[in-house]
Amino acid sequence: MSTGVTAPRSERTSGVRGSLTQRDMAVLQPMGRPSRRFLLVTGAALIGVLWFAQAWAFQLRHGLVVTGLSDWGTGGGVPWGLYIGSFIWWVGIAHGGIVVSAAVRLFGLRTLKPVARLAELLTLAALANAGLYIIVHLGRPDRVVTSILPNLGQTIRTSPLAWDVTVITLYFVLTGTYLALTIRHDLHEIRDRLPRVFSPLYRIVLVGYRPGERPKAERMAWWLALGVIVLAPLFLHGGVIPWLFALLPSQPGWFGPAQGPQFLAAALTSALAAVTILAYACRRIYRWHELIDDRVFDSLSRWTGLFALLYLWLQLQQVLTGSAMAPDAVASASAAKLASPVFWLAIVMLAASVAHAGIQALSPRRFSVGRTATVAVLPVLAILAEKTLFVIEGPMHPAFELYAGMPSYYSPSWVELSSVIGALSIVILVFLGAAKTLPMIELEEAER
Amino acid sequence: MSQGEAVSVPTPEMDEKMAERLDGDDPQTLWETRARAVLEGSGYDIELGQHVARDAQRVIAGELSGEEFGRRYHNAYLREFGRDDRPDSPDAADRGSEGGTPLPEPPRVMTRREVLGALGGAAAGVLFLGELYRSGALDGPAGPKPGSAAGVAAMKTTPVQFGMVIDLERCDGCLFCVDACRTENGLSDGVLWSYVFAFQEPDDDRTRFLVRVCQQCTQAPCIKVCPTTARHRRPSDGLVLTDYDVCIGCRYCEVACPFGVNYFQWGDPATYGGTFQGQRRDARGVAVAGDPPRGVMGKCNFCPLRQDNPETRGVTACAEACPMDAIHVGDMNDPDSAPNRYLAQRRAESGGNLPTFRLLEDLGTEPNVIYIGSPPSSRAELVEGPVAYEAWEFTENRRVVLDGPKPWFRRIGAQP
Repeated sequence: MSTGVTAPRSERTSGVRGSLTQRDMAVLQPMGRPSRRFLLVTGAALIGVLWFAQAWAFQLRHGLVVTGLSDWGTGGGVPWGLYIGSFIWWVGIAHGGIVVSAAVRLFGLRTLKPVARLAELLTLAALANAGLYIIVHLGRPDRVVTSILPNLGQTIRTSPLAWDVTVITLYFVLTGTYLALTIRHDLHEIRDRLPRVFSPLYRIVLVGYRPGERPKAERMAWWLALGVIVLAPLFLHGGVIPWLFALLPSQPGWFGPAQGPQFLAAALTSALAAVTILAYACRRIYRWHELIDDRVFDSLSRWTGLFALLYLWLQLQQVLTGSAMAPDAVASASAAKLASPVFWLAIVMLAASVAHAGIQALSPRRFSVGRTATVAVLPVLAILAEKTLFVIEGPMHPAFELYAGMPSYYSPSWVELSSVIGALSIVILVFLGAAKTLPMIELEEAER
Repeated sequence: MSQGEAVSVPTPEMDEKMAERLDGDDPQTLWETRARAVLEGSGYDIELGQHVARDAQRVIAGELSGEEFGRRYHNAYLREFGRDDRPDSPDAADRGSEGGTPLPEPPRVMTRREVLGALGGAAAGVLFLGELYRSGALDGPAGPKPGSAAGVAAMKTTPVQFGMVIDLERCDGCLFCVDACRTENGLSDGVLWSYVFAFQEPDDDRTRFLVRVCQQCTQAPCIKVCPTTARHRRPSDGLVLTDYDVCIGCRYCEVACPFGVNYFQWGDPATYGGTFQGQRRDARGVAVAGDPPRGVMGKCNFCPLRQDNPETRGVTACAEACPMDAIHVGDMNDPDSAPNRYLAQRRAESGGNLPTFRLLEDLGTEPNVIYIGSPPSSRAELVEGPVAYEAWEFTENRRVVLDGPKPWFRRIGAQP
């Protein structure tokens, strides 16, 4: 076994209680008494979650008839819509986190280290939302455990949805373990400064902690990061998630080998943009201008632009092969995509993100952190729109071309739209909670 | 809704033949009239055709042996057509699988999708589930449960594989089959397990039909993608069915099926026109019949409870209702089954030039429904059929009836 890429460090000695550096103090600053603004935001996020909860309760009571979905074919609608689009979106955003963090650990991408833990937390929150969306999407969510688990041995052989559930679970466990491993040392170091209210929580996280475990924990985290870097692109957003669609020849808009790379490019774009927004929010709110310095945003802007460009290039490949001399069913699916204003809106937003990153890279004096964060909203929204469009356009333009004579239509209902508000509120709540309970930047970084 | 009114004539345009049938004429006489109509203009011996057709029916009914049927018309066939390609002809044994009998199943080769599936499954399995498999922890609780019986057979092909031969050259778009299906299964509004497309090809004024039922694919994508084994193949007859007690309502089968035969139960069936009250469980005790309960998937199922009963095996509600006798149900693997005999008979009648097809065959799902006629081309356009869906009080576009109840905040706004 080798840890050659980044050797685990153990230069920190324990027992630095009471002697934290000024930077460490800055990292811990959000942990104090909640401000009025904090309570207001928490209240708003709670209302968002409750609003979604009552919408979901309404759906559970009356069935999925309260959505804008219907059957495809003669049913005049689509059976998958915003729920699945959001699911793809959240799994994509979940990448940001862990891929940023894993890249920091494996490839020594030190510039992004200050946002690594923020990104890990985003991964956990986003994955929780992805899992939630699978459940919300179901007609019989009460049967998830009783129907899926006992039959997994059989369904895992052919059902991309069974792979999907498996990989998401695996990913969640990996990320959670990774975060726990890397945060134990920090929590132990500052155990006297942690809020007493949450001490049972800390006792759970720190169970069995010994100061000498750090090198071992670092090594484990290194291997976990390697696992994540291999798994996420190959088997999650570059694999299982697009395979849900790309393996189905029944819907030509979905079928094809480029879906994997294109999903991955979309995921990384939206994820890096989401990390940018988060980092900016934390920097503004907690005045972490030195902890999360301009270089972080410069780097995030370039990476976001690069992956957005990659996405546009892959989209071009699909448009070209789908239009020029394509089989009839493929050509009509492509034509429908190209005729959709939502598609072009997404493309323009992503192109703007590429252009912005390019201009900043070529002309550093035009660099602006605020603008970078504002522009980062574009790819995040663009990917949600494009993925939802992608989901509904599959069954709208099937291989069975007689259905072309039956117009289908989809518009998300208030229940479905409420879920988007709810999911965003969940992420905000996770971060509000984290701000009060954890060091959101690794203390080691703060110390230097 | 018009359940129970299936025998009323919905439109004046409706075919005379149907009206006759509804007036209670002897079906046999009606049938012979129709056979004569088909045979006239064929240039072949009408008498012979009628005799053969009548005896073919007797074979299906079990009144006449296949062997005797083969012998009886052998010389007449040779005289009339110069050959006898029927599966029962005395030459059939020498011919092997040539001629009218279906070719034997090709050896099973893994398809691209199966290979990918196996790879993905293997990777995930090794990473996460390997140990659990070996320990048997994922076998689920012991003892019979609704899902497990279905689950075991879910992926396998079966020796008996029910399917249909649908004669589109006979179909006249009357929608009797669509209505019979609704009545049999108490289907909700807009749920059209059986659907008849009326379409025209460019430069051809003739209205053609396509009866769309579940294709009972051998390589059913819906079974493969199901994350629960709720969608499964029943061992006794190879029917692709949904276990209503196991389905989680993810609708993956619906998006994976190329034919659009799946209809989800979006709301409470009773609220949306569903009237099913009958027996849901088949001979295995698995809930597979009728309009599905809320939150699970339904589709054309070839009337599985009828197939459990020896007296009604080989008949579906749609086939029974078809006044044109265009739908023939049975084991596609058995050359002696009703659909295969019908196909052979039609092939013989056509002198070996019978156009047949399976829907979207290039997608590799291996459908078990064979159509007689020509497939719709990619330039085919839907047209109004001779009998409108509205005339039968069908909702064609289900989305328009899927309006959920108003939420509380809209009720408050609407009250002042």
